[in-house]
Amino acid sequence: MTREELEKAILAVFRERFEIENPGLDENLREEHEFDSIDAIELLREIELLLGSELSRDEKKKAMEIRTINQILDYVMALEKGTVR
Amino acid sequence: MTPRRVVITGCSAITPIGCSRENILTHLMEGTSGVKPLRSDGLLTDHIQSGVFGAVDEPIAYDFSRSHRKTMGPVSYYACQVAKEALAAAGLTEEFITSGRLGVAFGSTHGSPTVQREIYRTFFGENAKNYSSIGAVDYLKSMVHTTAVNITKMFGITGRVLSSCTACTTSSQSIGFGYEMVKFGMQDAMLCGGADEYDTTTVAVFDNLLACSVDFNDTPHRTPRPFDRLRDGLVVGEGAGALLLEEYGRAKKRGAPILGEVIGFSCNNNGGDLILPNIEGITETIRLGLKDARIGPADVDMISAHATATKMGDVIEAKAIGSIYGDLPRVTALKSYMGHTMGSCGAIESIMTLYMMQEGLAVPTLNLDEVDPRCSMIRHVRTQEQTRIRTASVQNFAFGGVNTCLLFRRFEG
Repeated sequence: MTREELEKAILAVFRERFEIENPGLDENLREEHEFDSIDAIELLREIELLLGSELSRDEKKKAMEIRTINQILDYVMALEKGTVR
Repeated sequence: MTPRRVVITGCSAITPIGCSRENILTHLMEGTSGVKPLRSDGLLTDHIQSGVFGAVDEPIAYDFSRSHRKTMGPVSYYACQVAKEALAAAGLTEEFITSGRLGVAFGSTHGSPTVQREIYRTFFGENAKNYSSIGAVDYLKSMVHTTAVNITKMFGITGRVLSSCTACTTSSQSIGFGYEMVKFGMQDAMLCGGADEYDTTTVAVFDNLLACSVDFNDTPHRTPRPFDRLRDGLVVGEGAGALLLEEYGRAKKRGAPILGEVIGFSCNNNGGDLILPNIEGITETIRLGLKDARIGPADVDMISAHATATKMGDVIEAKAIGSIYGDLPRVTALKSYMGHTMGSCGAIESIMTLYMMQEGLAVPTLNLDEVDPRCSMIRHVRTQEQTRIRTASVQNFAFGGVNTCLLFRRFEG
């Protein structure tokens, strides 16, 4: 999946799952859209569905500091490459 | 401290016979039943003998934001909607609501069974990968105190939280314990009530105990039949009710609408069997309620009986009422209109009783065509009566042997 394709898919998740329309790629989701830790866990479920595989506990923990769409995209791209540490 | 007077300054209900005061009163006066055919759930309904349910079918226009909706199962939608309407009716300021002087006493029978069922479907599904599909918020949506804390979250309430979960006495306890909180100065106001959503698990449980109505599956409006010779059991229902209880002096000072006064509450346990109705326990509850209200039996004009329409429960309750009150107060059984709304029944029946007190109206027990001779020692309301009701009692009893009695007085300034 290219970054553009991934961005499209993630934005669709935000629109349909979290009712957040076209957030800026570098907007702080927590501050601008009340996207909290519970939402982050829900997002990880969506990412698992997107990738078709379960995330490990360590991989999930790495996602807890993510605040922007661009950071989400970086995270998923790294997951796909197997470089999330 | 000197006990304080406690008044009701707002209320709201979602019921099988309507969600507004006007609709509820209209259906009570017209004798319209809210009992309908049991909807299939593709799981239990094929095995349940009872084919009736007190279902809420009036559309409700929710306008909750996503940040609130995400932790709410169906039961919390009901709870937050009636809480919102009761708060609005009471006209409380945001400053007071968030001051810590307002608490919440709200519960349900067992949280959200709809969400719980989805969790178990995931646990016991064939695909192990489904495990990861358990939602982060599923517990928050389904836990037993989900109604109370979703209310606190939605309105920023920072006072005490009580979440009774005693089945059929859930919301009568909420009102009673909330009343005591205000009466003894722990809080200046309490938002009290209960809710339960459409749930076939509850039907299956009562059905298995042979406690559900089965003889009127083709004519749902003819059941339940409290105190009637042909009664054959209870009808499970759904709904919600909320009452805003407030210290009288405060309510008067701010010019709040005062809908009625809570003057007494009692709660006890039968101290024995968890299912069988117990005349000693129920009689004692009534006696304790009157004592708390500092009134005698002759002061009570009307009783809203628990009266689920089970064979023994109604007889025991009628005998208990008869032994204390004789045949003086009017007795009506509001479950005859909507079934047994479980954890919300105490709040809903209290609200309906308040409406009747305000209107000077006593509605009859629906489907009471021929009084069971074993229940004939009390004064059943058989036809609609215009009458002044100054003091009324609301009785509720639950599995586990829990009994409650609430006493209300019409507010006359």
